[in-house]
Amino acid sequence: MLEIKNLHVRLAEEKREIIKGLYLSVKAGEVHAIMGPNGSGKSTLSYVLSGREGYEVTEGSVIFKGDNLLEMEADKRAAAGVFLAFQYPIEIPGVATMQFLKVALNAQRKARGEKELSIPDFMRLVKERAAQLNISQDMLKRPVNVGFSGGEKKRAEILQMAVLEPSLCVLDETDSGLDIDALRVVADGVNALRSPDRAMIVITHYQRLLDYIVPDHVHVLSDGRIVKSGGKELALELEAHGYADIVGKAA
Amino acid sequence: MIPQTQAEQALGFTLPTRRLEDWKWTDLRRLIDKSYGAVGKADSKTIDRLVEAAPLKHLHAKRLVIVNGVVDDVRSRVDGLLLSDNAPAIEHEDPLLALNDKLNAKTVSVAFSDNYDRPIEILHVSTGGNFAIASRLHIAVADDASAQVIETFVGEGDYLNNPVTTISIGKGARLDHVKIETESPTAHHLSHVIVQLAAKATYNDFTLTSGAQVNRQNATIEYFGEYGNVRVAGAYLLKGAQHADTRLVVDHKVPHCTSREMFKCVMNDKSRGIFQGKVIVRKNAQKTDGKQSSHALLLSETAEFDAKPELEIYADDVVCGHGTTCGDLNHDHLFYLKSRGIPEAEARNMLVQAFVAEAFETVENEALREALMGMVEAWLG
Repeated sequence: MLEIKNLHVRLAEEKREIIKGLYLSVKAGEVHAIMGPNGSGKSTLSYVLSGREGYEVTEGSVIFKGDNLLEMEADKRAAAGVFLAFQYPIEIPGVATMQFLKVALNAQRKARGEKELSIPDFMRLVKERAAQLNISQDMLKRPVNVGFSGGEKKRAEILQMAVLEPSLCVLDETDSGLDIDALRVVADGVNALRSPDRAMIVITHYQRLLDYIVPDHVHVLSDGRIVKSGGKELALELEAHGYADIVGKAA
Repeated sequence: MIPQTQAEQALGFTLPTRRLEDWKWTDLRRLIDKSYGAVGKADSKTIDRLVEAAPLKHLHAKRLVIVNGVVDDVRSRVDGLLLSDNAPAIEHEDPLLALNDKLNAKTVSVAFSDNYDRPIEILHVSTGGNFAIASRLHIAVADDASAQVIETFVGEGDYLNNPVTTISIGKGARLDHVKIETESPTAHHLSHVIVQLAAKATYNDFTLTSGAQVNRQNATIEYFGEYGNVRVAGAYLLKGAQHADTRLVVDHKVPHCTSREMFKCVMNDKSRGIFQGKVIVRKNAQKTDGKQSSHALLLSETAEFDAKPELEIYADDVVCGHGTTCGDLNHDHLFYLKSRGIPEAEARNMLVQAFVAEAFETVENEALREALMGMVEAWLG
């Protein structure tokens, strides 16, 4: 589904290279965890995949379902099935959550040549998905993320994911700022979306999240490169010994 | 003595210039370059077309139509409205009020003595070749009465429109006043509204400014009784080389009154928006609660916004504040919407609407608020 080859990325303004030759292959149905110390390039990878401005790809390729992802605008990537759950979801005053979800879903459907969802069908879909994530009707009535607690914001991200049904979910530090109960709700929401035709990239600093969202593959990112890959046991190893061991060896 | 410009000679009136502090951003002597003269005959078909195309015709039943400054009895539907040509004399001095005198504005007065739950529209239709149009409207809301008045301005062709509105709101009375300024794109719109509130009166005001080449809108709001409550909001939707300047003076003469001002200004192309808001708190006006804010969204590199908030406070036990912001669309907001599949143009429009929407909150009539939102959508194209 996703094939990243020799990816080099630098910050457009500072000309500082963040990702320095990254390879990653993700097949449908798989969950990949990307772990690594602060500053290793984890969030940059998520932004480059979702099409945020300010990053310059100097070398390499990212092929998503056979298309060159890097040539697509952010909204086209979303319509093609890429979804980024933000580490810090953005508050947008004045835009109602329901309106936002409806416009987003219908824009994606339109871009894919599908019919727009009727209002009753849309309401039913959101209501059902919101209930699974303990999201109240009151939250849906508020502007996007405005006044939400940290946990509410993360749940709202997962709700968007559940409504938009992307084929590649990139979760950027979804566990940050969550207490254990909120973490469980979010993880249950993510697990409910696991399916043979959907892939996930779970970016996290801590192993904790991976107790709940069990990955098929774990990669260690350090200084812009994947320095070690393995199964889910690699995460436990990291938790026990820290990054220094692996990062040190690679360096 | 500076010799009069051709435009001034045609008007028989000396226009204010930037040398006057209040007019420093709107130098009318420079901005009015057409020779406006007496109002001639207007084309009946054009008027019919303008009335037909007016933005709110689906909203309400009663409508007073003023064509080129004069009440049009045929096109008005005013059964049951208390109309007269009596209006109190204006004690304030201001170039726009003086111009209104000079142009011999005809007076029409609307009195509300009861509670009216449906809005009344006053539709100002202007058209013609270089006409200097003036009107004088008085709205009186009796003690304990309430009313909703919408003033809509539409027009075609070159003209100067100088409407002056005086409003008196009785004890415990309430007026919801909405102004929709969609004048001809080549017109000059120079207005002044004077509002006087008795004790426990409420005034909710909203102005949408998206028409005319040059706009200068003055407003003077005065409290004459305690516990008055005022909300004034406005939105600018400007493009091309449009110019809009609002000069708002809120005068707290007595204690225990509140005022809220909220302006949301969107400027595209080379347009220029100006907001000058002054809050005066007189010495005995203790417990005044006044807040003012103006926010600008610049959609192009060449658009401009100027703000001059002024607080003039002589009392010592008051809560007053002001805030101004100016910027372009938030890039993080834009990326977030795009990352969910919303195309750039649609995302930008959503954010502009969201920005403006906050100013619509003073409009409590839901159908009217929706109509206003529709006008923003139409403006965005």
